[in-house]
Amino acid sequence: MATSSETLAFLREVRLFAALADPDLLAVAELLRERTLRRRQILFRERDRGDEMFIVRRGTMLVSKEITGKVEQVLVRVEAGDFFGEMSLLDGSPRSASVQADTDATLLVLGRESLQVLTDHAPHAAAVFFYSMVQVFIERLRRSTLQVAEATRWGLEATGLDVETR
Amino acid sequence: MTERPAPARLELLVRRGDEEGFELREVGSAVGFINSRPQRVPPESFELAEVRSRVAGERRCILKNTATDRFLLLTAHEKFLWERMDGHTSLQELATAYVLHYGEFDFEVIPNLIHKLQRAELLTLRPASRLRRVLARNRGRRIVKAVETTLFGLERIVIASRDVQPFFQRLHRWGGFLLFTRVAAVACAALAVAGALAAVGLWHELDAVLAGFGGSAVRAILTVKLLFFASVAAHQLVHGLACVHYRRRVREFGFTFLHGFVPTFFVDVTDIFMTTRRARVVTAVSGALVHLVLGALWFLAAARAPAGFFQAFATASGIIQWQALVVSLYPFCFIEMDGYHVLVDTLGVPTLKHDAMTYAGKLLRGGAGVRVDREAALWIGYVLLSAVSIAAFVAFNVWVIVKATS
Repeated sequence: MATSSETLAFLREVRLFAALADPDLLAVAELLRERTLRRRQILFRERDRGDEMFIVRRGTMLVSKEITGKVEQVLVRVEAGDFFGEMSLLDGSPRSASVQADTDATLLVLGRESLQVLTDHAPHAAAVFFYSMVQVFIERLRRSTLQVAEATRWGLEATGLDVETR
Repeated sequence: MTERPAPARLELLVRRGDEEGFELREVGSAVGFINSRPQRVPPESFELAEVRSRVAGERRCILKNTATDRFLLLTAHEKFLWERMDGHTSLQELATAYVLHYGEFDFEVIPNLIHKLQRAELLTLRPASRLRRVLARNRGRRIVKAVETTLFGLERIVIASRDVQPFFQRLHRWGGFLLFTRVAAVACAALAVAGALAAVGLWHELDAVLAGFGGSAVRAILTVKLLFFASVAAHQLVHGLACVHYRRRVREFGFTFLHGFVPTFFVDVTDIFMTTRRARVVTAVSGALVHLVLGALWFLAAARAPAGFFQAFATASGIIQWQALVVSLYPFCFIEMDGYHVLVDTLGVPTLKHDAMTYAGKLLRGGAGVRVDREAALWIGYVLLSAVSIAAFVAFNVWVIVKATS
C-alpha cells in the first residue's frame, strides 16, 4: 500500500501500533492493504476460512454469532481504530463469527504472510505488536465474561425464574 | 438501597433471504417474559380445594403439590390466573383476560404468582404447542423431521414492523377517519342491502352463473382465494385505523404463517383494551366490514355483468368475502375472531373458549363432579354451536366447489 502521512497518522492512533517507533510503523504500513465495503456488505461468514485480520479505518463493522437459523447475536460493533479477525490470522482456524459493514467502511488488511515478514524483518516491532494484542485480548475476555452474565440475566428475566428464593 | 438494573436487552441480527440483507432488532427481556407461556404441572400432580372465610366471606383456594406435599394459599384472583396457565396462554393474554374479568390490573400480580408457583414446583416453562411436542417426539422419522423443519422455517417468516404508528396516523389523517363517520356507516348499510339484493338475484340463477367458469373452475377459484387473501390485509389495516381513531397505539403490523402453516396478515391493537368497550367493539367489527363492502361490490358487479367468466368470478369473490364476514363476526367457531372478542367482551367472560373446552373435555372423559349451572350451559352451548357451525361451514364450501366444478 502506498503509505501516506494520513495513513501513518491513523496507524499511530491504533492501539496495536501505538508503541511502534516511526520506522517500524512505516514497515507495518507497507504490509497493509486497503479494502472498502458498502453498508450491509458481508466481509466474511462464520466458519469461512481466513488468515487475515482487519483494522477499521473508517466506518463501523458488526460482529455477530449464529444462534439459530437466520438469527444471530450482535457481539460487538468495531469502530475506527479497532481491529478484528486476529484469531484466524494467528491459528488459521475458521472464522468464529460473521462480520458485516454497519456503515460504508474502509479496512486495512494484514495477512499472515505480511505478519511473517514483520516478524522476520522487524522482530522488535513484532514483539510490541503482539504485546499490545495480548492486552486487547485480556480486555475482550473480560468483556465477553460480562456479556455471558448479561445474556444469563436476560434469560432469567425473560422466564421470570426466581432463583434467589429457590 | 441497591438500584435495580435496567431490563437486559439482546441485540439480534436477522438475515433476510438475500445474501447481504439483514436487520437489527433489540429484544428486551420483558418481551420474552410477556410472550412466555407458563405451564402448570399435570392434573395428577396437584390438588385444589376451595375454602371460604366465614369472617370476610372471601373465597380462597389451597393448592397442593401432591409430589412434594407443599401447600399454597391462592386468592380468587390468583386462582383465575392459575387456571389459565395451561402452556398455551401467554402472560400477555393472561394479563388481558385478567383486566377484562376484574377491570383492573396490578402488574406485580403475575410475576409474584409465578415466583410462588415456581418455589412450590407447580409450574414448568415448557414450550406450548402440542403439535410441536408430537413432532419432537417422533423426530426419528424422516417425514416427521421434514414437516417439523418446514413448519419451523415457515413460522419464522415474519414480515412485520413495530414502528407502524406513524403510518397508521398518516393513513387516518389522509382520509381513514372518514370510515368512522355516520356517512360511512349509512353507505355501508346501503351497500349491504344493495349487495344482498344482487346476491339473491344471482342465487336464483346460481347454476347458470357458475357455469360461466367453463372448464377452468378450479384455477378460477384459486385466483378468487388469492384475491381474497389481499383483502385480509385491508381487514387488518382497518382494525389499525380504528385503534388510531380512538387515540390508541398500533403496536405491530405484518405478515406471518400462523402455527407455521396458515398465511395471514396481523395487526396488534392490544392497546385498545385501555379504552372503552364501545371502542373495542368498533375496532373489532370495523375490520370485518371490509368483507361486507367488498362482497357487496362484487355481487353488484356480477349482477350487472353479462353471463360469462367475469360474472362467475365476481359471484365467487362475493361469496368468499361474505363468508369471511360471517367467519369474522360469528363467534361460535372455536376460533377467536372479531365476533368472539365482541361476545366475550359483552358477556364479561374473557376466557369463554378456554373454559368451555376444559368443561367439554371433562364431560367427554366422564369426569366426576361436573357442574350443571348457567355458566356450564353457556359452555355447552358454545361448544355445540361451534361444532355444528364448523360442520355447516365445511359442508357449504364442499357444496360450492362441487357445484362450480360439475
